[in-house]
Amino acid sequence: MVHQARLVAVVVMSSPGESSVTENHAAPVMSRRTLLGRIIQGLGLSFALGPAIPFVQAKERAAETDATDHLIVRVARPLDAETPVQEFSSYLTPNARFFVRSHFGPPPQEQLSDENWQLNVTGLVDRPLTLTLHDLKQFEAITITAVVQCSGNGRASYRPKTPGVQWDRGAVGNARWTGVRLRDVLLKAGLQPNGHHVQFQGADRPVAAMVPLFVRSIPVEKALHPDTILAYEMNGRPLPLLHGAPLRVVTPGWMADSCIKWLTDITVQQDEAQGYYMQTAYRHPTRPVEPGEAIAASDLKPVEAMVVKSLIAQPSEGTSLAPGPVTIQGVAWTGEGRIVTVEVSLDGGLTWEPARLIGEDQPYSWRQWQYIWQATGPGLHTILCRATDDCGQTQPKASPWNPSGFLWNGWDYVSVTVAG
Amino acid sequence: MRCATRIVAVGLIGLATLLFSRAGAAPDDQAGRAARAEGLVLARCGLCHSTDLITQQRLDRSRWQATVGKMVHWGAELSEEEAGLLVEFLAARFHPTASGSVPLSDIGAAEPLQTEHPSTQERPSGVALQGATLFATNCQGCHGSGAGGGFGPKLAGNPILNSETSFWETVLYGRGPMPAWEHTLSRQDIADIQAWLKTL
Repeated sequence: MVHQARLVAVVVMSSPGESSVTENHAAPVMSRRTLLGRIIQGLGLSFALGPAIPFVQAKERAAETDATDHLIVRVARPLDAETPVQEFSSYLTPNARFFVRSHFGPPPQEQLSDENWQLNVTGLVDRPLTLTLHDLKQFEAITITAVVQCSGNGRASYRPKTPGVQWDRGAVGNARWTGVRLRDVLLKAGLQPNGHHVQFQGADRPVAAMVPLFVRSIPVEKALHPDTILAYEMNGRPLPLLHGAPLRVVTPGWMADSCIKWLTDITVQQDEAQGYYMQTAYRHPTRPVEPGEAIAASDLKPVEAMVVKSLIAQPSEGTSLAPGPVTIQGVAWTGEGRIVTVEVSLDGGLTWEPARLIGEDQPYSWRQWQYIWQATGPGLHTILCRATDDCGQTQPKASPWNPSGFLWNGWDYVSVTVAG
Repeated sequence: MRCATRIVAVGLIGLATLLFSRAGAAPDDQAGRAARAEGLVLARCGLCHSTDLITQQRLDRSRWQATVGKMVHWGAELSEEEAGLLVEFLAARFHPTASGSVPLSDIGAAEPLQTEHPSTQERPSGVALQGATLFATNCQGCHGSGAGGGFGPKLAGNPILNSETSFWETVLYGRGPMPAWEHTLSRQDIADIQAWLKTL
């Protein structure tokens, strides 16, 4: 379990929009020299991305640059890119530095314009609805700060390796989501008593027609929870294209596979969504399993709530430090509960010291933490952290292996060198 | 700024050539099979996703088999023989104990990557009627029906059609998210597609 896969590559493009993404951004920006070093490590990506495409409209290129500057690209097309963990020194993750997960990538922008986009609410409802964005904004607006995390975040840490995007630590972020309650929309449509699941579909489409659509559903209890929202703003700005413009689902406390982007269709139905992305993918074993073992369908259930987890944002992996006090800081979050402790170990997990929880304390958000370490002695030191929530969940040293590499929440660690 | 990006990219390609070169890779049967498999990855897998998604995996043969099987089920154009070749290639190259970073290919990289323009002798004159079918099979997935654009840019009326050099370079060697087609399409195929695009 080494972190050599970290920072495989960083996209570099000219960034005319840099000034627009500095809100709430406290972490130092990587120097160009560091970036260049990382590009050389990421030659494979340089091949994949190559120079700017000359015949793409300049406007599109600018939007793309804004959207992916400073992200670590795992897959160039459709785009999967994660946030460097140093960014998690701030409470809110800026939009342009928020991880991007694409099943098929954004639909053509004209489909999402005010004139063309609409939300259909159908199925087991008394009054099917067709709503424009303007119609939606007539419902009461609500803002919730919530962690959104890919189910596969940390997949690269599983051994044996599991298939899928090899996310390291940064397929997660904390943002302020503004929108309307899904509950209010469903109640306006009039839920019928046999409507047990609420299905979502977005406007994104695969290149090849035989690839199943990304269709998901959540149980009606979660759909009616007053904190489950249809968001049209992210950190006070209109939802960016890569994050689901003009409307996405946000299910606070749950993994992001329910947070459908470019939402166009809500269907109330008796059963879970059919199809690959609900019935096969995004399922997790309910019992311990061995690699290679056959798992009965009845032993798999949909990935829902997040598990307790913490990350070290500073210092960065591989940093050289002078002896003396060092501020170790990071974030910790859990599913529908609250973080109660974060602990740090400097002896490989034999003993743990409590970190100080700081900053805002809101449900569904992450909690920032800090620990002052008196760094002594020359050589390599490994800093570990683990969190515990109010349900009594504590991060394990390593998460139980599962065939899709979901829900990684093993102790986080960073290695640093202290000078003599 | 775009110039600077291009210079950096060209420099990186040169450096990569040095790093990934394997002197004396004889064009034996093994290398030929690998080159064919690489062409399949670029053309058939690369239609829907960039190849970095593949090169980052470390899977045993059975999981590669399952993955390729899933993709065929989802419409990847691979014959049974091609799928078998692909599984063999992927399982040998991107296996659980493979090192941290493995490029898709190191075959042929001993020679400098092609950067000069393909000579005009290599550009036969195209037949537009043939090009329409070839486009539908190979290009439409990204560039849309009637070359009207999709994930990739609209090609109907695109200025690149007036630049012989850019057009051929882009198709043969790829650019940005677009895969290289030199192992998949013949020169005649490319000329036919170009001829058809110019009629739009």
